[in-house]
Amino acid sequence: MNRYLFFFFFLLGTGVGCRAQESPYFVTYDHHLEEPGNLEVETFTTMGIPRSGQNFYAAPYLELEYGVTGRWTSELYLEGQGTAGDSAVFTGWRLENRFRPLKREHFMNPVLYLEYERTSEATRIQKEIIGGGPDINSPNSELQPVKNNELEAKLILSSTVHDWNIAGNFIAEKNLSQSEGFEFGYAFGFARPLASLASGKECRLCRENFIAGLEFYGGLGSTKGFGVHDTAHYIAPVVSWQVSEDGSLHFSPAFALTHEGSPVLLRFGYSYEIRGFGSKLAQFFGGKH
Amino acid sequence: MRATVLPAATALALLGVVFGQNPSYQQDPKWRAPAEAVAKPNPLAQKPEATAGGIKLFQRNCVECHGAGGIGLEKKHAADLQLPAVQQQSDGALFWKITNGNTDRGMPSFSRLPELQRWQLVLYLRTLKPANEPQSKASAK
Repeated sequence: MNRYLFFFFFLLGTGVGCRAQESPYFVTYDHHLEEPGNLEVETFTTMGIPRSGQNFYAAPYLELEYGVTGRWTSELYLEGQGTAGDSAVFTGWRLENRFRPLKREHFMNPVLYLEYERTSEATRIQKEIIGGGPDINSPNSELQPVKNNELEAKLILSSTVHDWNIAGNFIAEKNLSQSEGFEFGYAFGFARPLASLASGKECRLCRENFIAGLEFYGGLGSTKGFGVHDTAHYIAPVVSWQVSEDGSLHFSPAFALTHEGSPVLLRFGYSYEIRGFGSKLAQFFGGKH
Repeated sequence: MRATVLPAATALALLGVVFGQNPSYQQDPKWRAPAEAVAKPNPLAQKPEATAGGIKLFQRNCVECHGAGGIGLEKKHAADLQLPAVQQQSDGALFWKITNGNTDRGMPSFSRLPELQRWQLVLYLRTLKPANEPQSKASAK
């Protein structure tokens, strides 16, 4: 049974197939929000390549991102995890909101991020690295029963310099279920499309359809011990390929810079944008739009 | 904790869907490009061949609200890009508006597009003419 669940989660994460110039980052957020009324459906997987004595795992997640207004995006996450030789489990859900306080583009564009998550200790999607990273050594039978209610806040600072996006995130998380104090983390990334001009023809392999960049992310300890000691840090090349008008593939291998966590994380996924989702939903319920 | 957070989160998400759309479009007199942006020339002005890419970008990013030919979809309250009020603006002003958007009125920012691609959009906007006026080669494609 567990094997079937493992394959289900694995397949969920490898669904074949963003809108023009979608961000290629997996962990870092930039200042670009979802267009109002659009819904982006994304399936991603984080695979952990084990060290000796650890087990391979795959942690898929489904992300539903909705543009509430031009300056407010809301996202719901559903996540799971399957570990070879262990079990596959549903590890919980997250609801995040991003708000852009400034109307116009500036040299530095701030975005405020607030998330509530209800996840178990078995979570391994690693959408952010906080503190020392997830526990990847204990079996799911020990981790899954431990549920956490967490509040997470991020300050996102992002800038567009010519064709480059440069973004930095400062993360603070509070586990409301345990007295751990606040935990901290960071993410930093830069990326650019491989071509500045759009060609006149429809082509999928043109350079303009690819965005490449680099991410750095890791934990910064907690209020009980701030710093990089005993924390996980990764450097990760990122690439996204727009494979259709509304769909794109994303890939990123992340390499550990410390001995915490998995030595390599392989991240990949597919995102698909449903334009005018809000209007269609309102029409369905008899609204004008 | 869980009992209060879950309904609150659901209500927040539903509120977002219900009130997510801009109910009506009106030209915003406050949405004006600063003088230095207005004065910026289009670096692709001497490269009309780049208009073809602009058409593609328009199809991908703008047609949803502005419609084919930029006529502006009524249900989206989007501007008719063929109107003199739009066409009389400078290249720099249009570029600034594409870059910044007017999020309070439903126009998203397209700063995620590379700079030259936004200029390609401006090139294409210049080819938009009302139906009773002759279309340029690029827009007739």
